Amino acid sequence: MKRAIAWLALSATVVMLPLVPWIAPPALIQFGTTTLLIATLAQAWNIIGGYTGYASFGNSVFYGIGGYGTAIAMVQFDLPFGVGILLGGALAVLFALLLGLPVLRLRGHYFAIATLALAEAMAGVVSNLDIAGRNIGLILPLRKDDVLFYELSLALLALATLIVYWISRSRFGFGLIAIREDEDAAAVMGVNTTLFKSLAFMLAGFLSALAGGVHAYWITFIDPVSAFDITLNVMMIIMAIFGGAGTVLGPLVGAVLLASISEVLATEISAMASLFFGLVIVVAVIFMPRGLADLARRFRSLGWRYFRENLRLHRL
Amino acid sequence: MSLFLQIIANGILLGGLYALMALGLALVWGVLNIVNLAHGAFIMLGAYVAFYLFTLLHLDPFAALPLCMASLFVFGYCLQRYVLNLIVRAPMFNTLLITFGFDVVLTYLAQITFSADFRVVNPSYAGANFTLFGVTLPLVRVLAFAMALALTLAVWLILARTPVGRAVRACAQNLLAARLYGVDPRTVYGLTFGLGAALAGAAGDLYAVVSQINPYIGDPLTAKSFAISIIGGLENPLGVVVGGLFLGILESLTSLYVGSTYTDVVSFGVLVLVLIARPQGLLGKTT
Repeated sequence: MKRAIAWLALSATVVMLPLVPWIAPPALIQFGTTTLLIATLAQAWNIIGGYTGYASFGNSVFYGIGGYGTAIAMVQFDLPFGVGILLGGALAVLFALLLGLPVLRLRGHYFAIATLALAEAMAGVVSNLDIAGRNIGLILPLRKDDVLFYELSLALLALATLIVYWISRSRFGFGLIAIREDEDAAAVMGVNTTLFKSLAFMLAGFLSALAGGVHAYWITFIDPVSAFDITLNVMMIIMAIFGGAGTVLGPLVGAVLLASISEVLATEISAMASLFFGLVIVVAVIFMPRGLADLARRFRSLGWRYFRENLRLHRL
Repeated sequence: MSLFLQIIANGILLGGLYALMALGLALVWGVLNIVNLAHGAFIMLGAYVAFYLFTLLHLDPFAALPLCMASLFVFGYCLQRYVLNLIVRAPMFNTLLITFGFDVVLTYLAQITFSADFRVVNPSYAGANFTLFGVTLPLVRVLAFAMALALTLAVWLILARTPVGRAVRACAQNLLAARLYGVDPRTVYGLTFGLGAALAGAAGDLYAVVSQINPYIGDPLTAKSFAISIIGGLENPLGVVVGGLFLGILESLTSLYVGSTYTDVVSFGVLVLVLIARPQGLLGKTT
């Protein structure tokens, strides 16, 4: 019975979401588009960070590449948006393949920081490229159609979620989970770890790049600082972790919840929203390191003991 | 030729400060297995302590060094003792994430309290310099360099020669055995993290003398400290000095021969290359 209600609520939400722009005020549509894009990023991070266990701190690099690929195609070569965004996606996949091969050999801290350094280095490279408008950035052709961008973002999030759903129940996904739990054991069991990790990285890169492309066209402007923004990494990671990394719906719930709260806070002081994110990270890591999905599952049987258990498990 | 020497000298002076910055990060990483992503934010806090001591109390930044270190030590000790100790046994990703959280909180608290304006610590002798073998050396940079090296040496002596240092090294090598010998790891972890923060505070004080500060200087400094720790390896504080000098000279040479906009590309590129080729550090042992 409870299950039926949950499914009903879920399918009702899925049906309602595309209709939102026809009833909502413009401000809400814009907030919705931002939230859907960041949720897509969180979901893409979920593939490499949540399922494969490779905590990338540099996924914003794909977002930036996607945005720049789209912008360069549209501004410098007068190509239509559809071609541009695919070009951005292809560039990100290529980047993930070429740099993933060496970087994915690193584990733990080393992988995290190497990806962070890649994002920093990429911002430096792009701000020296003439074709990308150097430090100043590029201005894309104006297209004032908030509804279109909302629907595009929604479609993107749906695509990302479907891919993650497929991963959660496919042979490929089980291979990724095996890598997360014990990479050496997975290799011994016959998982081609290099191939699986690279594919996961490329998938995450592709989806992040599409989000970057949509965002660049929507905002009609791109520059190195905003395109390779490090705080974007914080947001996507914490949203995925807060909701539940390695689950299908966790990152979505985390993204919508945190984005809504930070939107309310940002109307007061913009720095408050970032401050809030930092505090959520600290509190979540201490009390619910496996996210809302795990909390929902185990809180019923454990009650408030759930938080004590988490503390007891990890403290010195 | 004299231009080349000047560039090398600039790089060495910069590198000494880099070494001090990285030392605290490498110490905490080596002993506690925590990569403190808030390390740069600690440096930023140290710089603001120096700035306010200078502007409000007219305290010379070099005289303020012990105060910067003491305040950051207390801060770091409490943070580890009462917060980080709660999750020290969690998977590595969680500790990385929580320090990321600290970094964000500190940066934006600093933005709200100190404002985002650029600040400078400008003592009367800030413009003084002297010439040696045709190379111009700014006085404050030489002083900062000497301080940085002295502190690095002091930390090395503390770790190698004192009972506290032995306890710290024991915890790094084998936590269980250290416990059996009566070392309380909660205190030792607190002391180690406090010492790491104190070094960040010292680095921040010196950074404020040689450069402008704002709340956002932390993140690139964390990344550089990390790069230096990787290049130098974690076993030995002297490795950090080599790593710091290497990065300092590399950045100076890059800004002359390639262009100053490429310094970050080169330093992070080198970091990625070193990580891929020798994850245990250029000077680390091959196991």
